[in-house]
Amino acid sequence: MNPLPIDPKNLPLVNGDPFQGNLAQILLMVILLGAVAYLLLQHGLIKSKMMAWAGAGLFAFAALMAFTSIPMQLDSLVRMCFSILAVAGGIAFITTREPVHAALGFATAVLSSCGVMFMQSAYFIAAATMIVYAGATIIIFLFVLMFAQKAQLQWYDVQLTSPVIATVVATSLLLAIAWSVSESGEILPVKLDLTRPYSLAETGPSPGTVMPPVPEASMTQEQLNAFVPAKTSGLGRSMFTDYLLAIELAGTVLLVATLGAIVLAQKPERDLS
Amino acid sequence: MSHSEVQNLLLLGGILFALGLIGFLTRRSLILMFLSLETMLSGVSLNLIVFSKYHQNYQGQILAVMVLTISACEAAIALAMVVSLYRRKATLDVQAWDDLSETILPKSTSGDYQDLEHEENYPKLSPAGLDPLDRPVPSSMQASLDQDQKTSPIVSEVNQRA
Repeated sequence: MNPLPIDPKNLPLVNGDPFQGNLAQILLMVILLGAVAYLLLQHGLIKSKMMAWAGAGLFAFAALMAFTSIPMQLDSLVRMCFSILAVAGGIAFITTREPVHAALGFATAVLSSCGVMFMQSAYFIAAATMIVYAGATIIIFLFVLMFAQKAQLQWYDVQLTSPVIATVVATSLLLAIAWSVSESGEILPVKLDLTRPYSLAETGPSPGTVMPPVPEASMTQEQLNAFVPAKTSGLGRSMFTDYLLAIELAGTVLLVATLGAIVLAQKPERDLS
Repeated sequence: MSHSEVQNLLLLGGILFALGLIGFLTRRSLILMFLSLETMLSGVSLNLIVFSKYHQNYQGQILAVMVLTISACEAAIALAMVVSLYRRKATLDVQAWDDLSETILPKSTSGDYQDLEHEENYPKLSPAGLDPLDRPVPSSMQASLDQDQKTSPIVSEVNQRA
């Protein structure tokens, strides 16, 4: 059994800032989002240009409020831009009439959230998500869409199933999420939970699978220069040592799903008798 | 990574999830419903990655890899099912398959729902000849059973044998 290469107690703790009191702004964003969604979904999709402009104005106001709530640093500005693009893509996805436009909105949302993931030093996941979602899934969805889509809009593209109830449910869910996220107090960053059974507590993580610590704002420039971004090799090492069984299982599930898709998509043979 | 940054990113994941939920509950096209599911999953994996960065280990990223795998499997199977369902009824409407659910439940609750009869996707022959409803056959050319019975040699022969 390997000894723990890094004592978890000695890793530098990330000091969470105390709660900054932007609960009001978060709740405002959420309520505005709900209003936007309700406005756009009211009795079918967008019907008049006035409604669309009103929704876009509300969204721009919410985006402005979000911009004012962050510190003026380059990385947080870029992150906020990606976030706003993602939310705009999601709203475009649920409000456009044309299914192809909706698919493009979905691609925008996924690509922007990939940008956010990239800034969270999840390089491999960001690249894989771009390839899988924006590459493969969108292409196949568009293929099926063009295979099955009639020339003009069908009535099931425009008619919605109970938009008001859906908006109320989703907005209250989002309110609950915002409430629990913006709860005051720190989330203590736990490096390794040694108290849980069946975790890495018995063997310890493989060497090189702990992320390098994150720079803090209070550090000097020399200290900041010492930091290197988290490496993808650490993820690969962790994937194929600590989580080997899970990854093999995922590969098996992919194989089974491929077989199932081939069987399902086969054209049934005509019964000639 | 500051506390408010984590809050904002978690909220972004929540917003993506909620938008996907709205799309899934309201859309009626099968393909767009599955795209909404993918939106929800992308919000979830964003959440996992933020916590992975915050706790400085790779467990969240591994979970995100699993979510990515499962969503790829789901997309493959869902598209195969959509293609085979489209072959049956030639529509992408999800309510065409309402009869798969409980029959005692009330039908669709949305307001002006057009209750179309979805026919099986049989091949159709092009119409030939005159449509009797459009252009009625003139009475001189109409066949009449009574006259035929009187004049037809076959009928009279049959009557004689009887």
